[in-house]
Amino acid sequence: MNVEISDLTRRFGRTQAVAGVSLETGPGVFGLLGPNGAGKTSLLRMMATVLPPTSGRLRLLGRDPGSFRPRREIRRRLGYLPQSLGYYPGFTVAEFVEYFALLKEMPPGQVPRAVATTLEQVGLGDKARAKLRTLSGGMLRRAGIAQAIVNQPELLLLDEPTAGLDPEQRVAFRALLRDLGQRATVVVSTHLVEDVGAACTEVALMERGKIVFHGSPAELIARGEDTAAAGDAPLERGYSAALAMARSATPTPAVTKAPTVTKAPPA
Amino acid sequence: MTAVTAAPARPRAPHAASAAPLAAARLLRIELRRNAMPWILPLIAALFWFDSYRPSTSQPPLYLLRTFWNMGQGHTIIDFGPFVAGVAAWMGSRDGRRHTRDLVTAAARARYAAQLVTWAATAIWAVGAYLVFVGVMFAVYAHQGVAGEPPWWWVAVGATAVAAFSAAGFAVGAFFGSRFAAPLAAFAGFFAMAESSQTGFRDDSGWALILPTNSNGNFQQDSGIFYHYLPDLPIARLMLFAGITVAALGLIGLPARAGSSWLRWTAAAVTVAGVAAAGTAVGLASTARLGPEGIVIPVLHDAASDQPIRYAPVCGRAAGVPVCLNPAYQRYLPEVTAALAPALREVSGLPGAPVRVSQVGALYDNGDGERGQAMTISGHPPVLSLPLGALGTLPGPDGDHGRPGATKAFDQTLGLMFARAFVGAGNGAGTPAQQAVQAALMQGMGIPMAAQPSVLNLGPPSWAPASKSASGAVYAAARRLAALRPAARQAWLAAHLTALRSGQLALGQLP
Repeated sequence: MNVEISDLTRRFGRTQAVAGVSLETGPGVFGLLGPNGAGKTSLLRMMATVLPPTSGRLRLLGRDPGSFRPRREIRRRLGYLPQSLGYYPGFTVAEFVEYFALLKEMPPGQVPRAVATTLEQVGLGDKARAKLRTLSGGMLRRAGIAQAIVNQPELLLLDEPTAGLDPEQRVAFRALLRDLGQRATVVVSTHLVEDVGAACTEVALMERGKIVFHGSPAELIARGEDTAAAGDAPLERGYSAALAMARSATPTPAVTKAPTVTKAPPA
Repeated sequence: MTAVTAAPARPRAPHAASAAPLAAARLLRIELRRNAMPWILPLIAALFWFDSYRPSTSQPPLYLLRTFWNMGQGHTIIDFGPFVAGVAAWMGSRDGRRHTRDLVTAAARARYAAQLVTWAATAIWAVGAYLVFVGVMFAVYAHQGVAGEPPWWWVAVGATAVAAFSAAGFAVGAFFGSRFAAPLAAFAGFFAMAESSQTGFRDDSGWALILPTNSNGNFQQDSGIFYHYLPDLPIARLMLFAGITVAALGLIGLPARAGSSWLRWTAAAVTVAGVAAAGTAVGLASTARLGPEGIVIPVLHDAASDQPIRYAPVCGRAAGVPVCLNPAYQRYLPEVTAALAPALREVSGLPGAPVRVSQVGALYDNGDGERGQAMTISGHPPVLSLPLGALGTLPGPDGDHGRPGATKAFDQTLGLMFARAFVGAGNGAGTPAQQAVQAALMQGMGIPMAAQPSVLNLGPPSWAPASKSASGAVYAAARRLAALRPAARQAWLAAHLTALRSGQLALGQLP
């Protein structure tokens, strides 16, 4: 298993963003669905080793990210696209991707070729020398995807990767995801259920910091059958039905008193 | 976007330690190319031109005097410091402003290492620009025939100060990752320099000597001409700025996100070492004392630094007497010989009259300041030692501001100094008999007695006469001596010169 999560929690003051998530997944494309504030981004940031868990157990690529050396090994094999992509406007697209390739400790000799290949993959080959400040929102998103996959990651974490992409680009991106999922674990956090249906082999639904559904897209679709759940497509109806079921079964409060931190945050 | 043919995961090459320098070099290349510092350099260049270079050109063409303003008083640092701190803060706050902290933190290379590369690029631009600007200024000076040794130690101090401003500014940006970090750091840099300037003007000893704008005692009258610029204080200042640089860079490595605990402990040790170095430098400065060739810090002082600079003198003649100057003063030889000729003619043939005039290095006089050093006549045969650099004024169009009357003031100052040396008045007012003979000699040189009280004011206060006007017993005796026929006056001087110089002659014993 590339991702092994057991009873993982994360608090921000009095707010519990992730409330005891347990999850295991191997190679393939894993979709993480959920409404705003469900805790998807916090979970992804913990998996990206930038946010230490408050408690629980997290193992990535067979290593414990709580220790420095394993964490460094994980990061060398990690690709991460944050929800809100930060970038340096004065960098060219190629420089931006090269910069992060070098930060990921790719062998310097392999970097130029890897950058060129990756930019072709995301359709920015002809924009390699363009400054990031001149790119459209969709192109910036693709530049962000390029920096995430330039090191051929074994664990790829994508937070809302298709936001800002036009329909044609989204179709192409899903193909890319399917391809990447053949050799790596790709975790995609998204609002867009059609992305999940088209690219994911496995899907989890988060609500109030917990995973309320975990299964295949077909199983999620099955949840919506024979119900009056809202949605235009079968997957949307499954999503709505699973969410409604979780909400009816769980009491509302998302804000609880902060417990004692049980795990020291990693550096 | 293109889906590439599925391929098995490539076996990952083990991380080679030898690849780290190459990777760092490539990161540095990107950072150098995309650094914000070049954008501010035209503004700094303009400021440097108007504040550091132009005012210096009004000084005589000696490195010592030209660089007293821009290096001694730290104007080159003032011109760079606040801007460099501001831009460095802008670069340091980049991850905060651009929301890239998560991206950088999720990478294998420690965030601290990435930040150090960004700082290095910023500092390379800033320090490089400083060295280029100073280099161009020195090249222009050389083209203008500026003489003496350039103050290389002070250039090193300036470059290190710029590095310290960049490190401090970067640290501000790293801890306060907002757009306000840059103006905050720039203002703090400006405030620090303003305070440093004020303290530098006020305090001429103790710890305050460590301040980069404190010129007291750093640039002696003949530094780089007769003797080297003493490196003691520059070394202390280098320690201070290197310490600030190291401490600021160490601070950046302390937060949890910076990297491993080992790296953070190292950063903490580096911070402590930097603070210790800066503190030691301040402590060393407080032990400084003023020597004849500049600031001496006993712990740092190397006796080899006291060795004089060798030179072949350039000589002319005044009233038949050879007058020899350091080649740095060669352009003033005609004015010096012209100014000394009347004095040498006046005493020509007398026992004790100098047979040679030789320039000596001006030594800093702690009591009287820049003009406290007198001419002396000593040796057998007698040689007049001329501390030209101690005059505080130089003649001619390349002289002291080229102001009207500068040449006349120079001639009168030399005449006054010569007369005082001849009568043996030393550095005080002299005995009444010495004052009277001095006045008679000066009249013989063409300085009327009525004008002499004001001429005496060209010297230090200790030379001031008792009377503000050319009257009283001293001037009465002087007029009697001056009224004698030249042969009689010379005969009297020949008979009484030894007693006069030893201060044993009373005013009543004059003819």
